[in-house]
Amino acid sequence: MHIPDGILPPAVTIGGYAMTGAVTWFSLRRIDRQPHPQANIPKASLLTAAFFVASSIHVPLPPVASVHLVLNGLLGAVLGYYAFPAILVGLFFQAVMFQHGGLSTLGVNAILMGVPALIAGYIFRLRRFLGSENKLWTGVLGFLAGAVAVGLAASIFFALIITNLPGDINVQAERMAIYALMLAHLPLMAIEGAFVAMVALFLQQVKPEMLKG
Amino acid sequence: MKLGLDAYAHLKSPIHRWEPRCKLVGLMGLIFVFSGVQALGLLPGMVGVAIALYIISQLPLSFLLRRLRYPGFFLFGAIALLPFISGNTVIWQFGVLTLRQEGCLAVILIAARFFSILTVALIAFGTATFSTSLKAMRGLGLPQVLADMMLLSYRYIEEFGDLFHRMKIAMRLRGFQVNKLSYRNLRMLAFLTGTLLVRSYERSERVYQAMRLRGYGEFRQRNGFQQQVRRGDIFALGVVLIVAVGFVFVEVFL
Repeated sequence: MHIPDGILPPAVTIGGYAMTGAVTWFSLRRIDRQPHPQANIPKASLLTAAFFVASSIHVPLPPVASVHLVLNGLLGAVLGYYAFPAILVGLFFQAVMFQHGGLSTLGVNAILMGVPALIAGYIFRLRRFLGSENKLWTGVLGFLAGAVAVGLAASIFFALIITNLPGDINVQAERMAIYALMLAHLPLMAIEGAFVAMVALFLQQVKPEMLKG
Repeated sequence: MKLGLDAYAHLKSPIHRWEPRCKLVGLMGLIFVFSGVQALGLLPGMVGVAIALYIISQLPLSFLLRRLRYPGFFLFGAIALLPFISGNTVIWQFGVLTLRQEGCLAVILIAARFFSILTVALIAFGTATFSTSLKAMRGLGLPQVLADMMLLSYRYIEEFGDLFHRMKIAMRLRGFQVNKLSYRNLRMLAFLTGTLLVRSYERSERVYQAMRLRGYGEFRQRNGFQQQVRRGDIFALGVVLIVAVGFVFVEVFL
């Protein structure tokens, strides 16, 4: 779910960078307020590398050959405020090393993946009020975090792509295309949600301190 | 997982010798200007500038072609329908299939911008080692947290890639195959991901302790980039920025 170079007009790409700057500033401020911000940098960095690697997992989804997981919801749940800088770093690597996404669209891609990750982080943190030891709530909130994050990212992605394609496309056709693509992503939201819930339950059992982010 | 972005960083072309901060500012400026090109008349010039810079950089053609392949397929998937759905001027019709002029021009515009931006981005980051580019970004004001995260993530991506590959082989040897979507298969993949995350988390604790022993966090790190900016670096930056401003001028006023 990366917007490549060349599709978006400069107003959108520059706006994306401006918004990314603002959200990065907000995230770094919140990180600075934590008790040991520097202690968490190696953790966030190595987990960023692990997420980068794990996002290569493909899940078979008939009739499509397979889909790969986005994992921005899981990033939000595990890394909290570090999720946005982690996504920014991951997208930068993908743009310069594998040419997935692009440098001109880095800001826009960071917003469309990172803001849903932060929202997923807030959703998952509701565990604090509902009982962080409770497996049911961990599963439910993990599912919601994964599904909402990928759903929001897909909505922003398709809205940006379709509304910014050059040429004249009928407004009604644009709207229909966005709705159709969103509907096509409902199974992906369900798979991603289930996957994040399963990983969250695994981490709760094996390494519960990882879910405190 | 082999990254190989800086496989040709050892070459001695003028772009390799260009001071990294000047190079990043100049080429990133060019990338943003290219992303804004709308006039079809500017496309040959834009592609020409990208090719000229690539020739000067002495990077092999195979390096560019290899890296164009995957995103090229993705872009094709995103814009393949445009010539048939976008615009009103019909240039060819066969049954229900209608080829439209505006859609075709849009595809040419997007493909040219994509090629030019990707080529310039490869030149920007393929002509220096990653650590040099990172230091240059730090010198240009990248926050310390982001710089540290980039450096550490970069250091471990390849290692975790190999670890993940070995874990998948181990699962396959035990008879696990992801041939269909099922609860069990998804759960196994979730456990695989969870195990990778736990291992990286535990590794990060040891890494942090090692970094602390070497003084990490005790002193405020300087962002000083040691390399001197020479007159030639400024001149090259000026030339690239003049070219970029030229594109903007033609786009706006002509």
